[in-house]
Amino acid sequence: MNCSFFDGKPELKPDWKAFVLRELNADDARQAEAHLATCSICHEEVATLRLTLDTLSTLREEEMPRRIAFVSDKVFEPRWWQRVFSPTFAAGALVAAAILIHGFIGTSQNQVDAAVAKAVSQLETRHMQEIQAMYEHIEVRDKQVNNMYLSNAALIR
Amino acid sequence: MIFREVEDPDLIAKARRGDVEAYNLLVSRWEKRVFNYLLRLVSNREDAMDVSQDVFLKAYQSLPKLDDPARFSGWLFRIAHNEAFSLLRRKRPETELAGEPRPADLNPRLLPIELSLAVETALGRLSPDQRETVLLKVYQGFKFEEMAEILECPVSTVKSRLYTALDLLKTTLAPMQKAALRGES
Repeated sequence: MNCSFFDGKPELKPDWKAFVLRELNADDARQAEAHLATCSICHEEVATLRLTLDTLSTLREEEMPRRIAFVSDKVFEPRWWQRVFSPTFAAGALVAAAILIHGFIGTSQNQVDAAVAKAVSQLETRHMQEIQAMYEHIEVRDKQVNNMYLSNAALIR
Repeated sequence: MIFREVEDPDLIAKARRGDVEAYNLLVSRWEKRVFNYLLRLVSNREDAMDVSQDVFLKAYQSLPKLDDPARFSGWLFRIAHNEAFSLLRRKRPETELAGEPRPADLNPRLLPIELSLAVETALGRLSPDQRETVLLKVYQGFKFEEMAEILECPVSTVKSRLYTALDLLKTTLAPMQKAALRGES
């Protein structure tokens, strides 16, 4: 059933969807409300639209599976000279150097094996230290993020 | 002592000067809204998460190009819209195969959680363009003009898509609404 009040002048009929979505300007909204108070047909139309919007609002907001990781930005990547002097690179170079030197001076296989084993051991130790340092860094970052959230929550309150 | 919330434009100004913590705070304010918007558009949690990640990375890289920091939200959602539709275009055949909801999903006797699922299903029946207007208006609260900027189309197109979507949702959700009202009374 349609409201006959605006027959012959449909351009004057309020835009009820814009009305319920709060997109009408103040004057148009006042005129729409005035008509709404006297017209049961338009009242029903608006009530149905509001019910649809209310139903849509029952959609649950989903939690994120994980936080956005922003620390991967380029600014966090080490420069080339930092890579060269990093423990991993240095340890790798040490292993290569040990193999080469022993190859050149013609030492026995046992001596080569011992030198390589020593270099590999140093490499492993340094890897462990690096991993430990990474864990500590992650803990520090976690604390910073938590503090950031707490301070933001305090500011919002 | 009165605390003033740090406004987004202040954070944007700091982030533009290289303050990563300021940008992280900005991310923490917007990530859930962007994620939920993307989730309803692409209908897959992992895709939504990956695209969210891309959106915030692109936003950070493009921050110097943001003309008016007061319009950050619309600008951010425009990036999200472009990323989501780029993904949808790449995955179209797969989405079309999996995207058709089953009539059995719409049960007229509903609990609140089922009502939420019914709404999700009803939204899934809309075209991506129609669905996006509902997401931006109903769930993100943007004005028609802001939506037109995000979607890069005239306001008349925004209204047409949204009004058609609301008519379709009204029809689809009517049985659930009546059932819910009966349950309340």
